[in-house]
Amino acid sequence: MADSHYSLIIIGGGLSGLAAGIRFARFGESVLILEKHSIPGGLNSYYYRKNFLLETGLHAMTNYAGPKERHAPLNRLFRQLNLSRKKFITHEQFSSRILFQNDLALDFSNDISLLKEEIAAKFPGSIDSFNTLLKVVTEYDPFTPKKWVSTRETLAGIITESLLIDMLLLPLMVYGNSEEHDMDFGQFVIMFRSLYFEGFFRPDGTIKEFLDMLVEKFRSLGGEVRYKSAVDSIVSDGKSITGVRLADQSQLSCDNLISTVGTPGTEKLLNDRQQEIYPLGQMSFVESIFILPSKNKSKSKYINDYTIIFYSLADQFDYCRPTLPIDPQWGVICFPENFHGLHRSDYFQIRITNSANYDLWKNTTKDQYKQMKEKWGRESRRVTEEIIGKFYQNVVYEDSFTPVTIEKYTGKECGAVYGSPLKIKDGKTAYNNLFIAGTDQGYLGIVGSMLSGVTMVNQNILSIR
Amino acid sequence: MTRDEIKDVIIEIIEDIDEDAEMDGLNPDEPLRDQLDLDSMDFLDIVMELRKRYKLQIPEEDYPELASLNSCVNYLEPKLKNV
Repeated sequence: MADSHYSLIIIGGGLSGLAAGIRFARFGESVLILEKHSIPGGLNSYYYRKNFLLETGLHAMTNYAGPKERHAPLNRLFRQLNLSRKKFITHEQFSSRILFQNDLALDFSNDISLLKEEIAAKFPGSIDSFNTLLKVVTEYDPFTPKKWVSTRETLAGIITESLLIDMLLLPLMVYGNSEEHDMDFGQFVIMFRSLYFEGFFRPDGTIKEFLDMLVEKFRSLGGEVRYKSAVDSIVSDGKSITGVRLADQSQLSCDNLISTVGTPGTEKLLNDRQQEIYPLGQMSFVESIFILPSKNKSKSKYINDYTIIFYSLADQFDYCRPTLPIDPQWGVICFPENFHGLHRSDYFQIRITNSANYDLWKNTTKDQYKQMKEKWGRESRRVTEEIIGKFYQNVVYEDSFTPVTIEKYTGKECGAVYGSPLKIKDGKTAYNNLFIAGTDQGYLGIVGSMLSGVTMVNQNILSIR
Repeated sequence: MTRDEIKDVIIEIIEDIDEDAEMDGLNPDEPLRDQLDLDSMDFLDIVMELRKRYKLQIPEEDYPELASLNSCVNYLEPKLKNV
């Protein structure tokens, strides 16, 4: 017997779940979001250490668009959620750099012409083919479900210089590719547009204020959120979902269910399914956060003038799970304070992200884990200091999280931040009233995952095309 | 509802859907989508909002009836006469 009934239940209070909730609450009946943790956000959340609010996940938001660009994804999203874009203050990035072998650099900003100039200067033989690529990316329709197409093969057919291909792929893969080595061309187009055409920005506040705004909107429309409410299992009659059972064994019934915990995670909750169909994602990361005082900031051009550096020390870039605990040979260095017009505070951050091997972090003792964190943290720092100059001596606080931390706090299986390599673009499952939204539906990034929530509610529940 | 009341409701709904909508210079006989640069998702939100407020089911084949402000009023007048 169910304790209560909802028109829609959403598993997961991350960005896709919150967006789906707001969208449904606006036009539908009763809706409940179940979040396992005590705060919302999922992958893009926050925690406190020594009075510092530390954000998880967020380096920058992608898909920048000014308020007047009505048809841009960011602004459509705000209209769909009935949120004011005018009141949402944004700060654009300075510029970012793709750096290979420590001396070959391509800078880009939120204006694609900078990247074009850089390619014309450094890869003069490839500028025409790059312009061809821009045309292809503009005209391609990545939203209609189609067969997987190899990005690497497609790019090799357009651009002959493989180094340029690797350089262009690094940011797009590290910010949103769930597959190893290659990526689906539709996914490539989405990422290309959101990073190179639209670009990076930050909201004026932290991710906490952003999440607070979403939760407040959801509640004002009559939606209900329950924190510390892990779902134990999904209850079905074989064809349809009838409800969910919570960890405390209470049962809730619903007409429709949206799961944002990924396809492998959803499968686990469906006890009646024997076979595992959905492959687990292999790509996970270790991220280190360093906090430094703003006074006596070094004169390094990177620390002062760049927002994000995507580096590779090797000539070739292969996006895959490393054989060592982390691979410091390539990664991301982010300066989250380096956005235009962001108010200065007494401290600034440096964040370093490297690919990591989940199994090696998982299958270890507590002591070994601690030692690994120290050893590989040092290694990642050493490589970073070679690029941006010495900074570690001024660090007042540091923290890091591993694939195991990510799995524990976000529920992403194997700490795979971009989920399973197999995406369910239409969100449909074997059950007629169970839908997938978020990471494993396929739209990534903060704006992307929120659009995923909105689109799944529109198409599958409100039946809007 | 009178024709004027229906017109006010439509304007109110559009203003809520789109904070940038400039309703003052609107030509009531010209298509709303062109004048306000609404996309298909925005347009469907008008339908959704009418459904929510008045339990009105507007079938897809009737959507062209909602093209301009005046055609909206013409279409909705008989449906909302007892509201």
